[in-house]
Amino acid sequence: MISTVNQKSNKNQNLAMVIIGDRCIGCDACYVACKTDWDVPALKESYRTKVWEVEGEDNLGRPTISFLPVLCNHCQNAPCVTVCPTGASFQREEDGIVLVNSDMCIGCKACMIACPYDARYYDEQKKSVDKCTFCLPRLNNGLDPACVATCVGGSRNFGDISDSESSVSKLLENATSISRLKEDEGTLPNVYYITVND
Amino acid sequence: MSRHNITRRGFLKLAGATSIAGVTGVTGFPSPLHASMSESEKSSMFLKYDRGVLSPSFCEMCFWNCGVDVYTREGKIHKLEGNKFNPNNNGHLCAKGNSGIESTYDADRVQFPLIRTGKRGEGKFKKVSWDEAYQYIFDKLEPLIKEYGAQTLATFMHGTGEPHVHTLTKALGSPNIVVPAYSQCLGSRDMAWMFTFGTTPSGHEPFDMANSKHIILFGRNMAGAVQVREAEDFAQGIANGAKLTYIDPRLSESGVNATDWLQINPGTDLALALAFIHVILRDGLENIEFVSKYCYGYDKLVEHIKQYTPEWASKKCGIDAKTIERIAWSFAKDAPHVVAIPARRMTRYGNDVQTVRAIAIINALMGNWGVPGGIWVRSKVPVKLPEYEEPKQPSARRADGVGDGEAYPFAPPNLGRTNGMYEATLKQKPYPIKAWLVYDTNPIYHSSSGVNNILKAIKNLDIIIAIDTQFSDTVMYADVVLPESTYLERYDNPHIQSDKIPFIALREPAIKPIYDTKGCYDICKGIAQKFNIQRWFEHPPKDKINDLYGSLEADKAKELRQNGVVRFEDVDPYPIASGAEPKFNTSSKKIQLYVSDLEDMYQKNGDDFSPMPIYKDPPLPKDGEFRLLIGKTPRHTQARTQNNWILLELQDDSPVWMHPDDAKRLGFVDNQMVYIINSVTKVKSKYPEKLKVTNRIKSGNIFIHHGFGHRTKAWTRGYEKGTGDNFFVSEGVDPISGAAAFNNGFVKIVKALK
Repeated sequence: MISTVNQKSNKNQNLAMVIIGDRCIGCDACYVACKTDWDVPALKESYRTKVWEVEGEDNLGRPTISFLPVLCNHCQNAPCVTVCPTGASFQREEDGIVLVNSDMCIGCKACMIACPYDARYYDEQKKSVDKCTFCLPRLNNGLDPACVATCVGGSRNFGDISDSESSVSKLLENATSISRLKEDEGTLPNVYYITVND
Repeated sequence: MSRHNITRRGFLKLAGATSIAGVTGVTGFPSPLHASMSESEKSSMFLKYDRGVLSPSFCEMCFWNCGVDVYTREGKIHKLEGNKFNPNNNGHLCAKGNSGIESTYDADRVQFPLIRTGKRGEGKFKKVSWDEAYQYIFDKLEPLIKEYGAQTLATFMHGTGEPHVHTLTKALGSPNIVVPAYSQCLGSRDMAWMFTFGTTPSGHEPFDMANSKHIILFGRNMAGAVQVREAEDFAQGIANGAKLTYIDPRLSESGVNATDWLQINPGTDLALALAFIHVILRDGLENIEFVSKYCYGYDKLVEHIKQYTPEWASKKCGIDAKTIERIAWSFAKDAPHVVAIPARRMTRYGNDVQTVRAIAIINALMGNWGVPGGIWVRSKVPVKLPEYEEPKQPSARRADGVGDGEAYPFAPPNLGRTNGMYEATLKQKPYPIKAWLVYDTNPIYHSSSGVNNILKAIKNLDIIIAIDTQFSDTVMYADVVLPESTYLERYDNPHIQSDKIPFIALREPAIKPIYDTKGCYDICKGIAQKFNIQRWFEHPPKDKINDLYGSLEADKAKELRQNGVVRFEDVDPYPIASGAEPKFNTSSKKIQLYVSDLEDMYQKNGDDFSPMPIYKDPPLPKDGEFRLLIGKTPRHTQARTQNNWILLELQDDSPVWMHPDDAKRLGFVDNQMVYIINSVTKVKSKYPEKLKVTNRIKSGNIFIHHGFGHRTKAWTRGYEKGTGDNFFVSEGVDPISGAAAFNNGFVKIVKALK
C-alpha cells in the first residue's frame, strides 16, 4: 500500500486521488467495497466509483483493452457546486472535497446534468443526490478511502498533493505520464491518472 | 464497450483523458446563491464513522481464504476489510470478497433443514427438525451400507468444513471422497509439477512475479481468475517494468499490459513450449551450472528436443518462428529472475500434464528455483501443532479409478476424481454407488463435466444429502438438505498454510446464525451420532482454536489474538539464492527433466505417457463448428455467486464472444441473440444469449464465462441469468492425471428469432 492519509493538518490540504494505470487489473473490488460501506442503492445506475473496460485497436489493428477507474473528480472548479440552487452541493475549503448535504438537496438534479463526469446519482431513499465523498467519514477516523484500502493492484492512491513529501506527490513527481479527465472543461479535477512505465 | 452498458449517459465518449501539460488556470465559477449554512455545519454529517466491533476471519467467497476483518455495527455486519497481516491478501479483498456480507443477508439462503416432498429437481421440500433430518439420513443410508458396503457412499466436498465431512466419510467406512479442485481444475498442473519438482504450485501459487523481470503466462489469467496475493504480485511486477508474454487465443484482462500477446491456436501450447525449450538448448541459453547440479535427464532432453524446431512449432501454434526465438532469447537473458506460469484450470485439451511438464522444464532450465523473481519455496509452519486422532483410511477399493493398479495410479486419493465418481455413479461400476453426500459444491449442472450424464447418473442414487449455505442447483435435487451457517456466522478450524511466509489465521463468528443453521462440524457430528460414531467428533473448531493457542509461544499467541493471524517470517523462500541446498521430493531426488516414473506406462500405453513430452495435435472442430473456450470472470466465483446482487450488478450475463470474420460469414451482428448447440449431444442452450463480436477471440473459437445459467428457482436474482457452459464442454480426460479436458467441446451457433 503506497497511500497514506496526510494527518499533519486539517487545513489547507489539497486531497487528491492518483490512479496508476499500469496497476489496475479491472477486478472491480473498488466498486463493491464502496457500495457496501456507503449503502449505495442496489441498482446498477447507482455507484460512486466503477471501472470502465475500454476496448480499442492498436495501429496494427490488433485489439487492446485498458481499464479506467472513475469517481467524482472533486474538481477545483466544480460545475455541480455552481449550478446547485440551494448550496447543498458544496466544496470544502480546507481540503477541496466536494459534498452533497442531503438535508439541503431538493432533488432538482441540475448537478447531475452539470457534472461532466457522470459522477452522481439520485438516492430515492435519502431523497437526495449522492456521490463519492473521498470517504470523508473514514478519513476523519484515520482510514483510507474504501476503494483505496481494498485496491488489489495498488492502483488507487490517496493523499494531499499540496504536501510535496506525500506519497501521492511523489507519485506525480516520478510519473512517466499524467492526465486528468476532460481537461478542456476547465474543471481542474483532483483525480490524476498516471503511468509509471514508459 | 463491452461488459458495462453505458446507461448513466455516454460518459466515456467524452472521457478522453488529455494531458495536463499546457492547460492554463481557469478561474472560478460564481459561488452558489443560497449558501445559507456554514461549510462546517454542512460537513457535520460526514464526520462520524463507526467501524463497529472487529471479528477475525478468512474469506469463503472462493477457496483461497484471504484474511478478512469483519466489522459489525449493533449486531449487523457492516463491512469486510482485508486483513493486512494475512499473506494471502495483505489488506486487500477482491470484488467477491468485498461482497461476502450478502452470503449471509441473502433471504434466498437455505434457512432450516429440509426433506424433499416433490420430484427431484422440482424444488418441493418440507421443513423438518435437525433430528428428523439426521434420522432420515440414517434410515436411508444404513440399509445401503449394509447391502453394498460403506463404499456405496460418495462424498463431494469443497470448502473450509471439508475436514469434518472427510472424517465422517472415513468413519462411515467409505474411501470415496472427491474434491472438484483436482479433476475440474488444478489436477493436471499439480501432477506435472509433482513429477518435475516434487511439489505442486497448488492454489497459492509460488511464482515470484513481484520480483520477476519477465513473466510468461501460458493461458494463466492472472487478473481475471483473481487470487488476491497473486494479482498483487502480478501488478507489482508490471509496475516494476517486468516484460509480460501473454499466451492465449483470447485477450483477457491479463493481456492489458502484455509486451507480447501471442494469440495461439488453442490446444497447441505444448508445441510452443517445446519450441522455447528447443531454442534454449540449441543456443546454449540454459543455466548449465544449475541444470548439472539439480536436474535429472538433461542429455535425454537435449536429444528429444531436437525435433521441435520453432519452424515446426510455428505451423502448429500459429506463432511465427522469429517471435518464438525472440521471446526465448529475451526470457533467458533475464534469467534466473523470470518465471513461466501454466494455466490454473489446466483441464483443457487432454494433453495437459505433458503441456505443464514442458512449462516446468522451461523454468528448470532457467535455474529460477528458489531465486527472487522465479519460484519461491514454501515452508511449513514451524510449530508443533496439536494433533487429533482420525479414523483409519478405509481399505475398500475406490470407485473413481484412483489408486495403485487402477487407471490413474498417480492421482491423489485425498482429492480423487469427481469425473470418475460421476462415471461410477452412472455405470454403477466397479460397484454400486447409491448415495451422495455433497458439501458446499455444485456438481449437478455446474461441474462443467458431463452434465447430461450426471442427470442420468443421479437416477441411480437412493439418497442425495446436501450440506450447503445456499439453495444451489444441486441442493434442488437433494433428498435431504442440511443448512450450513455462513463463514460470518461460525467457527472453523484454524487455517494453517505452508507458504513463502507460513501463517495461521482464525475464523470466529461475527454474528450468531440468522436462521436455523449450524456449522459443518456440528452437522457432521449430528449425522455421526445416529451411526454411533460420534467419538470422532470430540474437538469442535472452537476447542481447536484454544488448543492452538496452547501450542504457541506467548508472543506468537499474542500476535494471533491481536491480528487474527500469526506469521512465521524466519524462513527462507529463496534457498538457492542464499546458498542452501534445496531438496526435491521426486523419485530421483532431483528436478526431473525426464520422468522415469512414467516409463512403465509409456511402454504399455504409448506416447501420451512419454517421460518427456511428445506433441500430439488436439482434436479440431469440423466445418461450421466452433471450439468452445471457457474462463473466469473476476466478478464471480465459479457457480457460487450468481445470486449475489452486488456481483450481479457487475455481471449478470455471459455473452458469446465471436470473431468479426466468423460473425460476418454467418451474417451475425454484435449484440444479437444466439443459441449454442452441442455438436455431439445436440443439446441447445435453454434460452438465447447475447453475441459479443470482438477480435479479442481467435477466429474459429467462441468464448463464454463459466458459472452462469442457474436452474434453481430458489435463486430469485440469479435464476437463468447468463448461459452455462456445462452442457457444451467436452467430456474427455487427461490420460495421466485422469482430470477432465473441457476445451475440446465443439458447438454450433444459431440465431435466435428475437
